[in-house]
Amino acid sequence: MMTGRVPLARKNLFQDRRRAALSIAGVGFALVLVLVLDGVFAGAMHQVTAYMRTSPADVFVAQKDVRTMHMSQSAMPAETVDAVRNVDGVAWVEGLRYTTAAVEAGDDRLLTYVFGYDTATGRAGPKRIAEGRAPAAGEIVVDTTAAEELGVGIGETVSVLGQSFRISGLSTNGTNMVNTTVFVRTEDFANMRGTSYAYVLAGAEPGVSADELARRVASALPETTVQTRPEFVRQEARIVRDMAADVMAIMSVIGFLIALAVVGLTLFTATLGKLREYGVVKALGAGSGRLAATVAAQAAWSVALGLVLAVVLSVVVGAAIGALTPNVEVLVKPGSVFRTGVGALAIGGIAALLPLRRVVRVDPATAFRRP
Amino acid sequence: MPPRPGTIKIGTVHGAVPLARRNLLADPRRLAASAGAVGLAIMLILLLDGLWAGIKANVTSYEDNVDADLYVAQPGTRNFYGAISVLPTSTVDTVRADPDVDWAVPVRGFFSIVELHSKKIATFVVGSVPGGRGGAWDIAKGRAPATDDEVAIGKVMANRHGLSVGETIDIMGRRFTIVGTTSDAFMASFAFMTHAATDALLSAPGTTSFVLVGTDRPDAVRARLAATGLAVLDRDELAENDLALMTRAWGVPMRVMVGVAFVIGSLVIALTAYTAIAERRREYGIVKAIGARGRYLVVLALRQTLMIATAGLAAGGLLFLAGRVLITSVRPQFVVLATSGSITRAIAAALLMGAVAAVIPARRLARLAPATAYRGG
Repeated sequence: MMTGRVPLARKNLFQDRRRAALSIAGVGFALVLVLVLDGVFAGAMHQVTAYMRTSPADVFVAQKDVRTMHMSQSAMPAETVDAVRNVDGVAWVEGLRYTTAAVEAGDDRLLTYVFGYDTATGRAGPKRIAEGRAPAAGEIVVDTTAAEELGVGIGETVSVLGQSFRISGLSTNGTNMVNTTVFVRTEDFANMRGTSYAYVLAGAEPGVSADELARRVASALPETTVQTRPEFVRQEARIVRDMAADVMAIMSVIGFLIALAVVGLTLFTATLGKLREYGVVKALGAGSGRLAATVAAQAAWSVALGLVLAVVLSVVVGAAIGALTPNVEVLVKPGSVFRTGVGALAIGGIAALLPLRRVVRVDPATAFRRP
Repeated sequence: MPPRPGTIKIGTVHGAVPLARRNLLADPRRLAASAGAVGLAIMLILLLDGLWAGIKANVTSYEDNVDADLYVAQPGTRNFYGAISVLPTSTVDTVRADPDVDWAVPVRGFFSIVELHSKKIATFVVGSVPGGRGGAWDIAKGRAPATDDEVAIGKVMANRHGLSVGETIDIMGRRFTIVGTTSDAFMASFAFMTHAATDALLSAPGTTSFVLVGTDRPDAVRARLAATGLAVLDRDELAENDLALMTRAWGVPMRVMVGVAFVIGSLVIALTAYTAIAERRREYGIVKAIGARGRYLVVLALRQTLMIATAGLAAGGLLFLAGRVLITSVRPQFVVLATSGSITRAIAAALLMGAVAAVIPARRLARLAPATAYRGG
């Protein structure tokens, strides 16, 4: 008497390795559509929140109803800085001047956030100056990625808001899909755009939580919007998420539909080509449940291997995109892989329905017919 | 007469057997599933191309409709969207003083994020002088704003968030009454209001963003105004620069998506043709045994993959039409256009997919031993 079990699903699927490879590659690439686009938007969220994530401020104050920086305008009178300073529990205050403009070098130009900050404290300035130093009068700090794209370096000149600035330093992590960041002295900014502030940054005294400080500032300045740093980051990320949600939904549906067609095609072919074998298995006493499990296992194998391939491909494609265009960051996150995996398993289940129907109905007498 | 490639003439029997077609049509369900999958890949390429064409057509909607010959802005300004120009309103008088200027009006424009139903909505706020040019050009319902607490918003935003004329909306801490609905910007909604209202929103009285100019002699006016240090751009320059801005953000991800769609289409075609050939290897063995040469077999594989590609192309066209209707009805902010260029590119992509996909089935056929014909199964 023979013992042991025959892994029918796996053997059936991988009997023809080329066909299995084509099928898994088809599923994998379909899921790459979902993962890469998700990665692009996750990367964009990471990039656009870089300034506030790395800020030392516990609380950000903005014009009423302004909760973000990207695609946003905020203007508050210069006195707002002193008003925040007078709130109990505030350790330090910094006014930040900000607008959106273009940074130009020769014929090349990039859209940029322009930050005007107090270089004496550096609190509202760049998190890290990788090369050079903070700007003096008539000088500017440009992000490293943007400097490479514009073909400029320290000591060279760029134009912002119609004025020329000499590059004194290069900062990092300030360029995203849409724009870059440049930093000038707050006095230079005021000379170009007036004395108002876009945001006021505040640090809490020891023993005062960021939430408590935000409550106190909001109470003292009701005509402003006060947010803690994590809340400001969350609101900024939501711009990308909300604007990308529809595009993501469309691409995900298409990606999953393609994966569904590929898995369905593979299972259908693999099952129908082996109906006689299924008949033999049924003649040997296997119930419909066992046969159904075999088909379901084939679907699971196709989807699981396709997902593994998709993750690997997405990381490779993401790295390639990052190398080709440093302003685009692709982040393939575990949560995204999990969501895609759940979706892929669901489509695997749907794809298995038609072959399941055929297998369940197979006549055991098929085993004794001529092929 | 030699048989056509992909068909074979057997012995003394006259007439060619369309082997490739018969092989594929032997299992219509498989062909349909394959055409559907390839069609989805083609649809994706068409949709991305169509979205891109829609972006191009939509990104200049303001410039296309306000009918200005020139845009005067702060030195260094190159875009209508994105970069914020600030000029003293006295610039309007400077421009009007030019003898060839027919009309000149101040317009302020800037992006703002509005929160509606817990969603962040991008709006492009345009402030203009009531009754003057540069404001809403296409009022669908209601009227253009006349006072500083009135606004006309894009139809898409109004419909999607259930906002009607007479209701209110908060923008940057101020409450506005919606008096009209109008056109939309690319992936954002216009919010037209008075220039004075934007002065208050930005706490920037006495300033504007652009001076729109009407003139019959744009070159001469441009030269004179540029000599004063102002930035002067025409509609085409603004359109080109705004498009370049969008390209920077979306160009690479779009190209990657198209590339992935192409690979998927090729893989599905290859999978279908390969499976069809593998299942009938005995018949192909017979064909080889009676003298078919390598070139015939390659052409046979190519015919099959091109037939699947053609079926996929047809399915892709239908899916695109259905998908476009669905997307633009559910999400009207997307404009998806079908251009002759996008259709040509889709056809070229399908044919190329068919050609690339023929490699693996052709290799399978080339390696097939004629003795297969005499084996069982």
